[in-house]
Amino acid sequence: MKVGETLIKVEGIRKSFPGVLALDKVDFELKSGTVHALMGENGAGKSTLVKVMMGIYARDSGKMWLKGQEVDFKTPKEALDAGMSFIPQELCPVPDMTVAENIWLGRESSYFNIFVNYAKINSLTEEVLARIGVELDPKRLMKTLSTAEVQLVEIAKAISLDNDVLIMDEPTSAIGEKEVEKLFEIVELLKAQGKGIIYVSHRMEEIFTITDEITVFRDGKMVGTVTTKDITRGELITLMIGTTLDQEYVKENVPTQEVLLEVEDLTIKGKCENISLKVHTGEILGLFGLVGAGRSEFFSALFGVEKKQRGSVRIKGKEVRIKSPSDAIRNGMALVTEDRKESGLVLTSSVQENTSIASLREDVVGGLISRSKELERVNSMINKFRVKTPSERQLVGNLSGGNQQKVVLGRWVLTRPRILLLDEPTRGIDVGAKREIYKFMSDFAAAGNAVIMISSEIPEVLGMSDRIVILRDHKVIAEKPRAEIDQEMLMHLASFSS
Amino acid sequence: MRSKLCVVALLLVGVFCLATGAQAKDKLKIGAAVYGLKGEFMRLWVTALERHPAVVNGDVELTVFDGKYDASVQQRQFETMAAQGYDGIIFIPIDMNAGSACVDTAYYEDIPVVGSNTRVNSDNLLSYIGSDDVLGGYLEAKNVLDNMGGKGKVVIIEGPIGQSAQIQRREGNYKALKEYPEVEVLAIKTANWSRAEAMSLMENWLTAYPNKIKGVIGQNDEMALGAIEAIKDQGYKPQDYAIAGVDGITDAINAVKDDQLNITILQDAVGQAQGALDILLRKLQGEDYKPQAEFWEAVKWGDSIQPSYNVPWQPIDKQNADATLKKREALTTR
Amino acid sequence: MDQQAATTKQKLLGLLSNYTILIMFLVFCLIMVFASEYFATWRNIRNILRQTSINGLLSIGMTFVILTGGIDLSVGSVLAFGGVVAASLVSKASGGEVYSPLVAIMAAMGAGIMMGAVTGLLVAKWRVAPFVASLGMLSAARGLTYIYTDGMPIPKIEKSFLFIGKGSVLGLPMPVFIFALIVLISYIVLKKTRYGRYVYAVGGNEQSARISGINTRLIIFSVYVISGLLSAFGGAILTARTTAGLPQAGQSYELDAIAAVVIGGTSLKGGQGSLIGTVIGALIIGVVNNGLDILGVSSYYQQVVKGAIIVIAVLIDSLKKKS
Repeated sequence: MKVGETLIKVEGIRKSFPGVLALDKVDFELKSGTVHALMGENGAGKSTLVKVMMGIYARDSGKMWLKGQEVDFKTPKEALDAGMSFIPQELCPVPDMTVAENIWLGRESSYFNIFVNYAKINSLTEEVLARIGVELDPKRLMKTLSTAEVQLVEIAKAISLDNDVLIMDEPTSAIGEKEVEKLFEIVELLKAQGKGIIYVSHRMEEIFTITDEITVFRDGKMVGTVTTKDITRGELITLMIGTTLDQEYVKENVPTQEVLLEVEDLTIKGKCENISLKVHTGEILGLFGLVGAGRSEFFSALFGVEKKQRGSVRIKGKEVRIKSPSDAIRNGMALVTEDRKESGLVLTSSVQENTSIASLREDVVGGLISRSKELERVNSMINKFRVKTPSERQLVGNLSGGNQQKVVLGRWVLTRPRILLLDEPTRGIDVGAKREIYKFMSDFAAAGNAVIMISSEIPEVLGMSDRIVILRDHKVIAEKPRAEIDQEMLMHLASFSS
Repeated sequence: MRSKLCVVALLLVGVFCLATGAQAKDKLKIGAAVYGLKGEFMRLWVTALERHPAVVNGDVELTVFDGKYDASVQQRQFETMAAQGYDGIIFIPIDMNAGSACVDTAYYEDIPVVGSNTRVNSDNLLSYIGSDDVLGGYLEAKNVLDNMGGKGKVVIIEGPIGQSAQIQRREGNYKALKEYPEVEVLAIKTANWSRAEAMSLMENWLTAYPNKIKGVIGQNDEMALGAIEAIKDQGYKPQDYAIAGVDGITDAINAVKDDQLNITILQDAVGQAQGALDILLRKLQGEDYKPQAEFWEAVKWGDSIQPSYNVPWQPIDKQNADATLKKREALTTR
Repeated sequence: MDQQAATTKQKLLGLLSNYTILIMFLVFCLIMVFASEYFATWRNIRNILRQTSINGLLSIGMTFVILTGGIDLSVGSVLAFGGVVAASLVSKASGGEVYSPLVAIMAAMGAGIMMGAVTGLLVAKWRVAPFVASLGMLSAARGLTYIYTDGMPIPKIEKSFLFIGKGSVLGLPMPVFIFALIVLISYIVLKKTRYGRYVYAVGGNEQSARISGINTRLIIFSVYVISGLLSAFGGAILTARTTAGLPQAGQSYELDAIAAVVIGGTSLKGGQGSLIGTVIGALIIGVVNNGLDILGVSSYYQQVVKGAIIVIAVLIDSLKKKS
């Protein structure tokens, strides 16, 4: 296939959901041998367009052509058979199957009629994995893999189809820097083979590293398509949010000398070992490390989610015993977990219930929850964080990622914490909401509190932290003031043993 | 409660010892495989068997197997008995069609099987002793219809559809109904042998057919008693209805005494259980074996083993209710 | 214009689907009113309510359990055990002491609490799957019931005890009155208390609930205790209604209780559902049983109709979620 041929073309696509016009008059074109980014804030319509193209959603109107043929896929299977692969943002492997079984799931029988030929699918898997330079045993069970490895398997699965079009929805949201590099190598490889790649992402650096063209969405409408090398970061942000942003990060807090939290020798074998650190009043402490370095595990141990084997915690010099999350909350801690859907929110409950749950005690009058009290507190958070929701009764699962994160933050603010533990606080969140969250962190610390933030995005770590603690292999490797460290050094410390 | 638990614990220990301890060979090892130990009738049946003179004096070593209302469990128990060299088996299958494989298992090992209470469709059964459910259904229905004066409207509460007892008792019910052409069946429906279900059913019927129902045929006592409770609850008098049940459970006999139930047709658990063991011992010890159960005073022992023996039903009415209860008390107190 | 019409239609659909169960219930009642002149009589309505109240009690306990994402298969057996425990304390048959009705009811509830606590511990502490833990209890409680009674019904219940099954208050039969009272209390607990919120939260996302400072194990444990308590209480009422402690009572009652909860729109995955839905679900089952009895429909059809209703109710629910 030649470079620059039109693979996909859509015209005048329109799609509405109850109460929302998700896509309006969208035109889009993907050429072979290019990487084409879809950008926009959450809810802008990127994922919707992808799902319409894949036949997951039925479009209301508009036309679509694949390699010159007009198509209208009714199911993802039809799209797949026609040559389009899709790696969704939410991965759904079968946990008790092996890597090989997952990759060839549903396609085993095209080689053999009844019995799965394991030898063959295993060797095929090795081939595919080798092609993208990933070392993984095809016989390993999916449930034993890390999130990043699962992501790589999904990519391998998509590539194994050898389709001309590959759609990746936030492929780097769950993987660390090292895996991202790997992924980019794979993308370059595919590009060289003349395939067309649609790349949905929030991350500026990635967009500028690997894409050739960018189509920007805003509020369900297509703002325009630009060539990547002709646009600057600032221009792109302006396109996305419609206004100019002076600065991506907001940082006004000033750390003091007063130690607020002191952790000593915190240990859970194999997860986080001998971790000691201090956080001061007014400080934002960055916690950096590759995926699997023990960052989230440290939070789990500190917050009492998992039982620690050893170690002590002092708040303002006083030793506290934390055996469960409720102990941690009582001592003024709050934990925003990495995964909003798995451990953050109760998706089947409303915004109101999710916001008040951790501090419900305060709304109880005479044994019963006072509705007016609760509403008042919940609404104060909805206003403070400018949560976009039709009402407090809306199911939280229906909100966009950024708004969901704001609900989680609101929940914790209501407990009046002094120490905020944030695990990847801006993952999968659009630029506008990110800025609001940065501002909140800064204000929170400035008000005489402290923040510990885990992040995989180096610019974010450097942009927000006063001090950075680097973890590797479950241990603290280094601790540096922000002024004494740069991007390369950070990566270096996190990746290699000295 | 504690004393009851102790008794149970001791029983369990006893059974365990019997099962594992060294067994003297001159004792006859007899297994009783019954479909389930729930319900008063089966308790009486088992107790009667344990009180058979041959078991009491130690000639026979008896083990009771609880089939847990599951044909496959019974099949497994037969295999166990065959493997352990039992001398004979008394068998109450869960269903007449489900038990023939069990019988065959024993037959090929030359273990004689005597059926009791519920017939098995098998040629390999040594003999069968039981009460004719068609006759039982006929007797109770006839009593109800007589008490209605041969006319009026009646309802029938059935057992679980498809069980042999339900099928045969219904056949008996309709046989009697044929003799009374002026009686109309208003409704017939299952309450699954359950008192609570029969109670709801009767309540609904009393609403749907106000002041029309004159008689109630319950295919067992539990359901007849449920109907009586419903009648009382809705402000009627059981005495104004002709009601009968089958089985002769203690509650029902008491209801007969209180004039609430006209009659219950007693299924003679003692005869069925002890008679079965006598037949089995006749086979194992030879034709000159003398039966030890009282029951044979009423039923012919005969010169040789018959393919089937009929245990007569005993209608219990106000006259013989007290006597029956006394006899039962003697059986159940240890 | 076009869009406005669409949203109006959606609103209407939304309204309709929110009250699916209620509408189904009313449609059934309407059909029955035309089919039988006796259906809408006060006497029959009392009967339906009374026949529903015991399954209703079990369904309420089941709602708590299912809201946490669990299931309690032991309700029927615990009901039987509670029933015979109460009966044994107020029976004149064995010649033992006859206790006051209150003592008997408390004892039954105590027994139910203990059995619920065992299931609850297994599920909450030792992480046994609820299906398996309660299946074990289903068998064990039934066995204990037979051991306790020797397999015989316990007759001759003291008159004063029968009040909770046969008496009436303010024109309502006692079982109905008790059921209504428990519905009211449970409604307040689920809707208005922290505990209720926590039950929903644990069912919706246990990990999130735990991180929010909720003692999730205690919540899970407690719902089985509630289910046990209500089941045993139901058993005591059944004993009073049938005037005997019946060891065989409550066979397969768990199925009707689960059916009521599911028809009522509560998700078996937990976290979503309502008590009012369960109450209507129980009433639908009651009306169908009663209606088919009154119409003289054969038992075979009754089973089919009940099955169809369960499936249709859940189907509507899932279609609703899909759109």
